[in-house]
Amino acid sequence: MRFFTASVLGLFVPSLAAASNLSTPTQLTLPSDFKPPQVFKNTNLVRNTNLEKSYVRETINVVVENVDKQPQSDYYIPFPSDVFDRVGGFEVRDKKATDKGRFEVDATEVVSSSSNQYFVVHFPEPLAPKSQITLGISYSILNSLAPRPAVIQQADKQYLTYSFSAYVPSAYQTVTQKTKVKFPSTNVPDYTETSDLKSGADPERKGATYTYGPYETAKLAPGTEYPVTVRYEFTNPVITAHLLERDVEVSHWGGNLATEERYWLRNNGSELANQFSRVEWTFSAYQKAPTSAVREITYPLQPGSVDPYFTDDIGNVSTSKYRPGNGKTAAHLELKPRYPIFGGWNYSFKVGWNNDLGRFLHQIKGADSYVLKVPFLQGPKVAEGIQYERVVVRVVLPEGAHNVRYQTVEGANSNGLPGANHIRASLSSFKTYMDTLGRTTLTLEVDSLTDEARDAQLVVTYDHTLMDALRKPLTIFAGLVSVFFAAWAIGNIDISIKKR
Amino acid sequence: MSLNEVWEASSATPFSPLVSKDNQFAVGFNLLVLAILLTGFFGLNRSFLTFTTLGVPASALIGFGAVFMICAVGVYV
Repeated sequence: MRFFTASVLGLFVPSLAAASNLSTPTQLTLPSDFKPPQVFKNTNLVRNTNLEKSYVRETINVVVENVDKQPQSDYYIPFPSDVFDRVGGFEVRDKKATDKGRFEVDATEVVSSSSNQYFVVHFPEPLAPKSQITLGISYSILNSLAPRPAVIQQADKQYLTYSFSAYVPSAYQTVTQKTKVKFPSTNVPDYTETSDLKSGADPERKGATYTYGPYETAKLAPGTEYPVTVRYEFTNPVITAHLLERDVEVSHWGGNLATEERYWLRNNGSELANQFSRVEWTFSAYQKAPTSAVREITYPLQPGSVDPYFTDDIGNVSTSKYRPGNGKTAAHLELKPRYPIFGGWNYSFKVGWNNDLGRFLHQIKGADSYVLKVPFLQGPKVAEGIQYERVVVRVVLPEGAHNVRYQTVEGANSNGLPGANHIRASLSSFKTYMDTLGRTTLTLEVDSLTDEARDAQLVVTYDHTLMDALRKPLTIFAGLVSVFFAAWAIGNIDISIKKR
Repeated sequence: MSLNEVWEASSATPFSPLVSKDNQFAVGFNLLVLAILLTGFFGLNRSFLTFTTLGVPASALIGFGAVFMICAVGVYV
């Protein structure tokens, strides 16, 4: 009886889903007339702008010198407020010691006097007066490429434009700077040629790389701009996931890790001038001609992935192939959407698969604690890249899991994710089959990501006791025991009509 | 200690389920069949003795059998 009481009580006492490292991003508030203190000088700055994908990827290497008399540790990086929210995977490292990890970065609210927002980089150790540090700043800017012309014929080439400032926006005086722009091909019909910024041709062209500068800008006020626009061929889709919901579900009883991803895709490329022609499409598909439409999406999965499915609002999409690999090599899911996705068209679908849990979950020796390591983002692998406006990752842990902690894995190189303080994390309960309390669910939300984050890994630890594990069978047991007891007790009631 | 180091440190103890995926159907099916038989015997003679000797074990078998069976059909709980 004691065991029964203990087990029944255990079934209904909610486990405390305490977690100690969950965070909500906050933005620092600055005074309306804020200007970053002029305590640094950029001695040399090189910006690499990569336009090979359907989003802009920039890396800035800058030698920063402290020109103040005091040690300084906060370096401000400005962005116009309309661009700020579209900056993804922002990361700053010491270029000479990249393995020491990323610097802590805070975001600020908009400063009304300049309509700028800042990333505030905190150096791990204050920079002494007159000493220098080389920063490697990397980030992507989403939705900054515009198709020109905005409307094309079905088989036409597509061109994108990108506008930026030849002078890198900086909060500090910059002595010399240059910008290298890497295009996907040498077909760049239009680009701004500057005058009076330097002697000789500007930009200098070398294959698909155009170099603006170097400029001597020591006498220019910080924040001075020189608008430049480039227009280049990009006959590929501009794939944008308006929203990606990714569920990773852990089952201890089933020994299974179930993954499901739900996509809301859009192609931000040039729209079709005329109605879609199926004949022309079949013809170009047969020739494998480059196209601005999404024709096929290749989706690499981990080795050992099984039971894949690909459905949309209508149901199963049969135009897909699954190549399972040989157990050691990656599996491939080749998805063909129900229709080609041209510029301005949308397509939403979901894909899912299962894996054996043993490869993703370890038990901590001598404890009821587990550690789970799963990809933060998987997603299709396409040459033209994918931008994700919003990603919601839900890690559904077994019922009763508590003391949940998480971390993204940082390496010597950028993992494409923003810092931990820019990821919204929350815990909730998710009720589904055979649940009494609901499964502990860790939800991580990130805005503005790109497929650079494909290899990012997420580690989650949690406690899960034997009692938590037995909750499901014991609940059913308790219910059925009461049915058997009732059958016996009711059967014993004498309802015969006779004289007593 | 970062969580990734915890992962590395525990690499000697990968999780292995009580019943492997391949055996879930067999285990679940057998437990449920046994439970139905016990329930049938209990139905023939309903007494407190049969409740404890047949009803309680049958409940336990259905409890575990149902969990393995739902996993076997692809709903991993």
